[in-house]
Amino acid sequence: MSPKRSDRLNAMSGKRTHSHQPRSNRPRPRPVPPLLLGAAGVAAALLAGQVLPLTPLVNPRYFPTTSAVLAALADDLARAEFWRALADTMTAWAAGLAIAVAAGAALGILIGSLPPVRAATASTIEFLRPIPSVALVPLAVLLFGTRLPSTLLLVVYAAFWQVLVQVLAGVRDVDPVAADTAKSLRLTKWQRLAHLAWPTALPYLMTGVRLAATVALVLAVTAELVIGSPGLGHEIAVAQTSGAAERMYALILVAGALGVAVNLGVRALEREVLAWHPSVRGEAR
Amino acid sequence: MLEVAGIGRDYRVDGEVHTAIDALTFQVAEGELVCVVGPSGCGKTTLLRMCAGLLAPTRGAALVDGREVDGPPEDTAVVFQEYGRSLFPWMRVGANVELPLKRLGLTRAQRRERVAEALRLVDLEGKERVWPWQLSGGMQQRVAIARAIAFRPRLLLMDEPFAAVDAQTRADLEDLIRDLWARLGITVVFITHDIDESVYLGQRVLVLSSPPTTLRAEVHIGLGPERDQLETRSSPAFAKLRGQVWAEIQAAKRGET
Repeated sequence: MSPKRSDRLNAMSGKRTHSHQPRSNRPRPRPVPPLLLGAAGVAAALLAGQVLPLTPLVNPRYFPTTSAVLAALADDLARAEFWRALADTMTAWAAGLAIAVAAGAALGILIGSLPPVRAATASTIEFLRPIPSVALVPLAVLLFGTRLPSTLLLVVYAAFWQVLVQVLAGVRDVDPVAADTAKSLRLTKWQRLAHLAWPTALPYLMTGVRLAATVALVLAVTAELVIGSPGLGHEIAVAQTSGAAERMYALILVAGALGVAVNLGVRALEREVLAWHPSVRGEAR
Repeated sequence: MLEVAGIGRDYRVDGEVHTAIDALTFQVAEGELVCVVGPSGCGKTTLLRMCAGLLAPTRGAALVDGREVDGPPEDTAVVFQEYGRSLFPWMRVGANVELPLKRLGLTRAQRRERVAEALRLVDLEGKERVWPWQLSGGMQQRVAIARAIAFRPRLLLMDEPFAAVDAQTRADLEDLIRDLWARLGITVVFITHDIDESVYLGQRVLVLSSPPTTLRAEVHIGLGPERDQLETRSSPAFAKLRGQVWAEIQAAKRGET
């Protein structure tokens, strides 16, 4: 582990490395905290957004100033339509992700623990997986029109493979010594699944969930944008066609914030669920 | 207790059949502590896996209590060399030890008592809530031993259990095994590549040949029940037995019969 990384880890866990604390009266210049640097980066971007439209470099009609965008955002936050759109997007995201994770985990464990089934399905999975979810837009419209299930179909299709592929890899990763141990302890098939296969696959599943959560959001917004099903994506399209550039950017900012929130949320979940895992417990072995 | 009857194992490489173990025959009586040594690559682990029902023999059979082994036998526990991989890292020490007790139809309180007792026997009293990876290697192997004895097996198969720990820990663990064996009256088959360890621990040492493996020699260790790391190991009788096993293994390496 590099010293930089260990410093960061210590800072994260609130620990201090005493060995490097300067004892003299002249304190060494402290490194700038990463949080501060991050805030500085955001501030610089916002400032650039404010200044650039005032120069002849960009057209303020298509690229409004930060202050105009923030004003439009504040305006939106006060409107019920906005919150309904946000709720629609989050519903499609959460429901789609839940279905994808449940189906991906269940099928992954099932297929993964039955080698003949794994062999029989491998090529089909490899064929279906790379189909871009967006290519299913016509099918979704045909089946469900411009309603929520249309969005759901695309979200589930995109997120499902992320989970399935990870769980399949996870089930395969059972340690042979652990497997021998389970056998010699005469654990039942059910016990082996619950106490060996499942915990082995869990870190993989969590990776799958993290990827799926992001992809699900991308697809939810895309579907609303392209199909016109209710949600943030639809609002963005409406703002664009009605020439409300400020509002369009405000909604894009919201979509970005959602993405960040989703990622943070899944990471927190990961830390909770995988407390025992080397990647989380923070001590390299 | 354990009977190994003409057991052998072949394996295939590129369609060619190699004989790892030719034919091994020996018996281990109830309550005995037998060590198995042999030159490296002689199939000690393969032998143990066949006795444990984890690997099917190509010919012959292993019998536990007169019944042919065709899967992990009841009343038999295995301790592996790789304790770090054998313990489940997602379970605390207590849950690891408790796991094999769950199919015995005990109440929760009875299971807890058994876990506490097993941990006490390996000097890890009260460590139920600790994660395995928070313990030293020697302590992890103690947990694995506690898990193995918690369901009160009558036969304990150990596959080079102390090969991965440092010398001092190893001496402690050797004494622990002697102590558990004497206290619990279980039968122990202990596989090792360490000649000193085999002589110090065993009542009997079985020396295997190089592959195709057969039983090369059987050395009776008449050192008495009380053994001490310092006194026993520096006694002339120990040196003589050690020399005897050593000579057999050297001869095995040279392929003499």
